[in-house]
Amino acid sequence: MSVLTALDRFAWMTRIRAFEHACLEGVRSGEIHGELHTAIGQEAIAAGMAGWLRDTDALVSTHRNHAHALIKGVDPRALLAEIFERRTGLCGGYGGHMHPFDPRHRFSASGIVGASLPVALGHAYAARLAGRDDVAVAVTGDGGANHGTFHECLTMASAWGLPLIVVIENNGLAISVEPSAVTPPGTLAGRAVGYGVCGVTVDGTDAEAVSGAFGELVTFARQSPAPSVLEATCARFRGHYEGDVQAYRDPEQDRSGRDPLLIARHALAASGIPDSELDRVEQAAAAEMQALLAQVRADPCPDPADARRHVFAATAPGAQRLAGGTRPVPAAAEPGQAAPGPGRGESGTGGAR
Amino acid sequence: MTGQLRNRPVSAFIAEAIAHEMEADERVVVLGEDVGRMGGVFGATRGLQRRFGPWRVRDTPITEMSFTGMAVGLALDGYRPVAEIMFADFIGVCLEQVYNAAAKNRYMSGGTVAMPIVFKTAAGILGSAAQHSQCLWGLFGHLPGLRVVVPSCPYDYKGLMAASIACPDPVVFIEHKQLLTRWARDFRHGAQVPEHRYAEPLGTAAVVRPGADVTIATLGLSVSHALDAAEVLAGEEITAEVIDLRSVVPLDAGTVAASAARTGRLLVVDEDYRSFGLSGELITRVLERLGPGRLAAFARHALPDVPVPAARALEEAVLPSVSSVADAARGLLR
Repeated sequence: MSVLTALDRFAWMTRIRAFEHACLEGVRSGEIHGELHTAIGQEAIAAGMAGWLRDTDALVSTHRNHAHALIKGVDPRALLAEIFERRTGLCGGYGGHMHPFDPRHRFSASGIVGASLPVALGHAYAARLAGRDDVAVAVTGDGGANHGTFHECLTMASAWGLPLIVVIENNGLAISVEPSAVTPPGTLAGRAVGYGVCGVTVDGTDAEAVSGAFGELVTFARQSPAPSVLEATCARFRGHYEGDVQAYRDPEQDRSGRDPLLIARHALAASGIPDSELDRVEQAAAAEMQALLAQVRADPCPDPADARRHVFAATAPGAQRLAGGTRPVPAAAEPGQAAPGPGRGESGTGGAR
Repeated sequence: MTGQLRNRPVSAFIAEAIAHEMEADERVVVLGEDVGRMGGVFGATRGLQRRFGPWRVRDTPITEMSFTGMAVGLALDGYRPVAEIMFADFIGVCLEQVYNAAAKNRYMSGGTVAMPIVFKTAAGILGSAAQHSQCLWGLFGHLPGLRVVVPSCPYDYKGLMAASIACPDPVVFIEHKQLLTRWARDFRHGAQVPEHRYAEPLGTAAVVRPGADVTIATLGLSVSHALDAAEVLAGEEITAEVIDLRSVVPLDAGTVAASAARTGRLLVVDEDYRSFGLSGELITRVLERLGPGRLAAFARHALPDVPVPAARALEEAVLPSVSSVADAARGLLR
C-alpha cells in the first residue's frame, strides 16, 4: 500500500472536518431532519487508517461513520447527498447518514452500537473462505466495546484465525457516560489479552501514531491471519448528536489542546512546512466540500411514490432457477388454486407482502 | 407420484436439500450451534460438515448475536449463508441482526445490496415448556423485509429449503420440532420426496385436501391435525377443505379467499399466539378481498395468549389438536 505523508494525513483531516461542517449546515437549515453524529475532534483516527486499506478490504462503521466512509473511498458527493436526503444519495435516501452502503468498497455501517463487529466478522470469514488476504475492520466506540458482540466476535475471530481488526474510537463518552463509571480499570485494548490477540492503545489525536499502529495490525492481519484490537483515545467535540444539550458536561469547555488538526498543524510547521502551504490545504478542503454542498442542494429529493420499493428483491424468489416441483395436487382442487405459480399472490411494487 | 417411499425423518430431507445447494453453489455456507460435528440437534445438517469441511459448515460458539451478524457480513460479501438458530425462542438473544440488518439492509441501501440469508430455526411444541416451544412466525411476519416459510410435509421441507437458499432475500425457515423427527411414512400428505434437486416456489399456499363445507387454513404441524380432523369430519358428512399456507410472508390470502368464498366458512388454525398474529391477519385479508358479507362464519383457533406450559395436561389444554380442530370446524357449521 502506498504510505501517506503526514501532510497527506493532515489533508484527510481537513477534508473530513470540512465535510462534517457541510453536514452541520444541513442541520441548521432543516435539510437534514433527523439525527446527525459528527466526528469533529476524532478525525485523526480515520486519517490514520487512510491509505492502508484496499477496495477489497471491508470496513464496517457506526452511527458516527462519515470519516470512515471517506477514507474507504466512498464518493463524498454521494455520501453528502445521502445525508442531505437526496435521490442522488449513496442509497437513494433510503438509508440516511447512519446506514451508508457501498458494496464496491466493501463499506457499510450500522446505527446500532455494537452491531458493526459481527458484520465485519462475516467479511473476515469470507476473506478466509475465499483465500483472499483481505482484512475486515470493525469500528466501534468505548461504549460499543462493552457490548456483548465485542466478546463474541473476538472469541470467534481468535479461535478461527480471522483477519478482523477492531478499532475502538475511545472518545471518553458513551453518549453521556464516562468509561471510568462503567468499566473496570485498565485500557480497553488490554482486554485483547483475554482473547489471545494483540491489543494496542494509541493517542487518537495523533494521525501519525494511529497510522503506525494501524498499518502494523493490517499487515499482521493479512499475513497471519489473526485479529487484533486498536484503541485510539480522542475527544468528541460536539454532542452525541446535533441538538444534544450536553447536560452531562460543559459544552463550552476548551478542547483545542486535543484538536487533531491543530496538533498536526503544529507538528507539520515544526517540521518545516510553511503556514501558507497548510492554509492552502485547509482552504482546498473547505472549497471542495462547499462546492459539493452546492451541488447536493440542487439535487432532487426522492420520489414519494418510491417509498415502498426495495423491501424485497424485485424479482420473484430464485426458485425458478431450479426445475419446478412435482408436488402432488389433490384432484378435486380447482386449477390455479392448489398450486399457484411463482409471482402470483400479493407481490406488487411494494414487495412480496 | 410413483416409486418407493423414501422413509426418513424430515430432518434428513432438509440436510439433503442443503447438500444439493452446497454442491451447486460454493457460496452456500452453514453456521450455527452444533450444526457441524453433531449435524444439528434435530439432524437437519447431518453429514454436511464431513462432506463440505469445517469452513463451509461451521460450528459456532453460543454467540447468536454475533453469528447472525456474521451471516449478514457474509451476505454482503456475496455468500449465501444458512444460519441455524437452534430454537426459535432463542431469537430473543439475537433479533438485532435479523431485523435491524438482514431485514432492512436491502431497503436502507436503496436496493444496492442483497441479503440472501436463511435463518433456519426449530419451533413448536415438543413438551419443552415456555422457552423451547414457541412458533413466533407472527413475530417474524410483523417485521418488514423477512420472508417467513413454514413447511408441513417432507416434500416441502426439501423443496422450500432449496428455494429459500436460492432466494435473494432473507428467509426465516421455521421447522416444527415434531415434524423434524417424524418419518415420511407417517405423513398423510407430501410424503414422497424425490432424490433429485428441486425447489418449490416461495409464497404460495396449497390445497392439501379438497372439501365443500368449511375451509381450514393452517400451517406447520397443524396441517397434520387439520387433515386428521377432516378425516373425522368426513365420517359426519362434513367435507373440510384443508389449506397449507406454507408461507407467512408473503401470505397467499388469495388461495384462502377463493376457497372460503366457495365453502362460505373459514377456520384459521394457528399454533402461534392468537393476538396480533397470523390468524387475525389472514382473516382480515380474506375479508378485505371478499367483502364483509360473503362468509357465513369464520373463526380462529390459536394458542391463547399464554406461555406454553410444561405439564402435558396443561399443554393439551391450550394447543390445537385433532379433536379441538374438529370441534372448532363443527362450531362454524352450527
